Amino acid sequence: MAKSKANQANPADGGLTLKKQKEKLTFNVIWQRYGTFGILVLLLGILAVAKPENFFSTATLTQILAQSSVNILIAMGEFFAILIAGIDLSVGSVVALVGMVTAKLMVAGVPPLLAVLLGILLGAFLGFLNGMLVNVTGLHPFIITLGTQAIMRGVTLIVSNSSAVYGFPASFTNFISKNVFGIFPIVAIIAIVVAVILSFLTRKTKVGRNIYALGGNKDSAWYSGINVNLHTLIVFIISGICSGIAGIVLLGRVGSAEPAAATGFETYAIAASIIGGTSFFGGKGKIFGVVMGGFIIGVINFGMNLLALPSTLQQVVMGALIIGSVALDRFVARKR
Amino acid sequence: MDTLVEMKGVVKKFPGVTALKDISFDIKAGEVHVLLGENGAGKSTLMKILSGVYQPTEGTIVIGDKEFSKLTPKDSAENGISVIYQELSVINELSIQENLFVGKLPMKKIGPVKVVDYAEMNKRAKELMAKVGLKRDPKTLVEEISISEKQQVEIAKALASDSKVIVMDEPTASLTNEEVNHLFAVIRNLKKEGKGIVFISHKLGEIIEIGDRVSVLKDGAYVGTKLVSEVTQDDLVTMMVGRQVKKNYQHENAPESFENEPVIFEVQNLSRRDGKVNDVSFKLHKGEILGFSGLVGSGRSEMMNAIFGAEPRSNGKIFIDGKEVRIKSPYQAIKNGLAMVTENRRETGFFHNFDIKKNISILPFIKTSKGGGTVGLVSKKFEKECAEKEKQDMNIKCYSVEQNITELSGGNQQKVILGKWVAADSQIIIFDEPTKGIDIGSKSEIYALMRRLSDEGKGVLVVSSELPELLAVCDTIAVFREGEIVETFSHKDATEEKIIKASTADIVRKEGA
Repeated sequence: MAKSKANQANPADGGLTLKKQKEKLTFNVIWQRYGTFGILVLLLGILAVAKPENFFSTATLTQILAQSSVNILIAMGEFFAILIAGIDLSVGSVVALVGMVTAKLMVAGVPPLLAVLLGILLGAFLGFLNGMLVNVTGLHPFIITLGTQAIMRGVTLIVSNSSAVYGFPASFTNFISKNVFGIFPIVAIIAIVVAVILSFLTRKTKVGRNIYALGGNKDSAWYSGINVNLHTLIVFIISGICSGIAGIVLLGRVGSAEPAAATGFETYAIAASIIGGTSFFGGKGKIFGVVMGGFIIGVINFGMNLLALPSTLQQVVMGALIIGSVALDRFVARKR
Repeated sequence: MDTLVEMKGVVKKFPGVTALKDISFDIKAGEVHVLLGENGAGKSTLMKILSGVYQPTEGTIVIGDKEFSKLTPKDSAENGISVIYQELSVINELSIQENLFVGKLPMKKIGPVKVVDYAEMNKRAKELMAKVGLKRDPKTLVEEISISEKQQVEIAKALASDSKVIVMDEPTASLTNEEVNHLFAVIRNLKKEGKGIVFISHKLGEIIEIGDRVSVLKDGAYVGTKLVSEVTQDDLVTMMVGRQVKKNYQHENAPESFENEPVIFEVQNLSRRDGKVNDVSFKLHKGEILGFSGLVGSGRSEMMNAIFGAEPRSNGKIFIDGKEVRIKSPYQAIKNGLAMVTENRRETGFFHNFDIKKNISILPFIKTSKGGGTVGLVSKKFEKECAEKEKQDMNIKCYSVEQNITELSGGNQQKVILGKWVAADSQIIIFDEPTKGIDIGSKSEIYALMRRLSDEGKGVLVVSSELPELLAVCDTIAVFREGEIVETFSHKDATEEKIIKASTADIVRKEGA
């Protein structure tokens, strides 16, 4: 009797915290939960109004999905790096290097399926290198991946002799370009499968929980028995694998391996993570948000093409929209 | 004595909560007015109203002959009120003198251009620093000086802006005894100059030593004001907590010595590579709470970190129930049933991004995992059950285990941390400064919990800088000095004097020579 009383909200014996009621569904809460989704709907709405004749077609949907998929894949890897209060600037270079090596293997006669697996393995290895460098040097991932970004791009140029590689089996490119039921691009399905796996990892597994803990407080994590280095390594391997898969998807869609492929993609990946609600300080964020964030970037890109904005201007608009959407999010979150 | 500031009938309402109910508080020239109360009692809110951070819902504030219904930070500063917060606001990247005059640098003209007059600044900085007894070159960068020196910089800064009232929020929280004495000397000087000091602290001994008057708040309401010379520590506790608090947590029938009880934990010849701990051995018996005293840096916490595998050791064996265990990381320590409630909850204890439930379940999840903590799934059902159980068991005051841990008071945060170790079925629990920054009511709950765990057969080791705490809880107290255990007392013959003597003997001798 006495015990249960002590646990109830008793204004006489507690701090202020007791009196707080369970959060109500205020605008603020709704925004936090569905804000990203709202931005997406808003953007789609703008496009629908501006170009109704082009917008309302299955081809449009297919194209947006396909275009977003590469970004979503990279962004999901980036998400983990940001989740541990780090960053991975090398994602674009991993995409290029994996694409290039996979292309070379296929041209050299390696069966496509094996080449793809080796490509993904290479992505994992490049992530492993990033993780090891972070652990061994103790430097911030920003520095390490800034360096490996340049190194991996350089290796791509060396491997390719600075020229594009093409002419690999049609079975590969056809598969990647396929649409299921004529609407859903296979690459979107790949992205969804990866998203489901990673979402499971973040929500249901101990390793996922540990990564959030590590992102929230590295020292508390260490004292709670979490192997900080091991989890850092796992995070960068995940990022490498995601970029590797993205590299292969891009290869199939473009039909050739360009040494300069995916340059600057880290910007989009970071933007997608942040727009999707991932905290830059680590420990907070959801895969679903990142998928939405990547989708928003895809819609913006697609929309600008649809509205026939000159490519020179697109960069400017993209940058402004990234700042604008994140600022809006923070502004609304702060306002009560 | 002149009244410098008078706050009358102050009420502060936050949405859904009345944080202050009709509080009156005044500060006279040349006095130290202690503001006492548990965490959440409203001390900080009241001081934030005085410094202009919050605006009161009702009430007036009279400063000198001016009356205000609310203050802005600018009003407050211009009328001579300075607040020195626990988290010091000095700028590490600037020198001491620049910190003192930040925002009002002395200027001189070179032709048409106004530039900073460093010579003048240096001269004035030296005068101010002499007043607070800070013996440093004014050009020293603040990041190079100790916490207590930073505090002196803050006080000097208050003097630089000619403050009449200086509010000090738990100024002694991270100071050594010697530094506290120095601070008190400075405070006495300030009193002589006619400054009014508001002193916020949980340490009753200090309050009796430095305070002139004491006002107590409880749950946002005013309890009373007394002359310090007319109250005892016990009176203060009763005013603050609203009930009598137990003084001792040892069993009355506890043996004089635990020698004959079974040894549940033992450390042999432990040393650290960095030399901070040298060849330390001790035994913990069933039913015994073993405390470690000593100065900060004497090797107590350093030893615990080495035992727990958080920092490397060069030598030493660890035995649990007579069996040697191999511990090279906290993960291995946890697997072997060790737990460590660390000194800094915020930095090394909890996860600010997690709710209560996740903060608790992380430990059982780690302990039952494989592959260095990575392999396994999290069960939401287990998580919830486990958190609810600890909420009951530890008496964590919260409206839901889904509440974020940062919303709890320090004492309740500590109970969550303790809960996570208990949830993982830890057998040996190390407490490093377990009640730092925690109010007296929660303190007594934590002491009772420690005793309960010990009675259940678990090993309890306590490191503390607060001697009354060790004397209230421990059966045996080991004293550290320069990386070694120099003396061990049974609680029955331990006194503060003996422990202080043991922990400083060598140092005093060296200084005397």
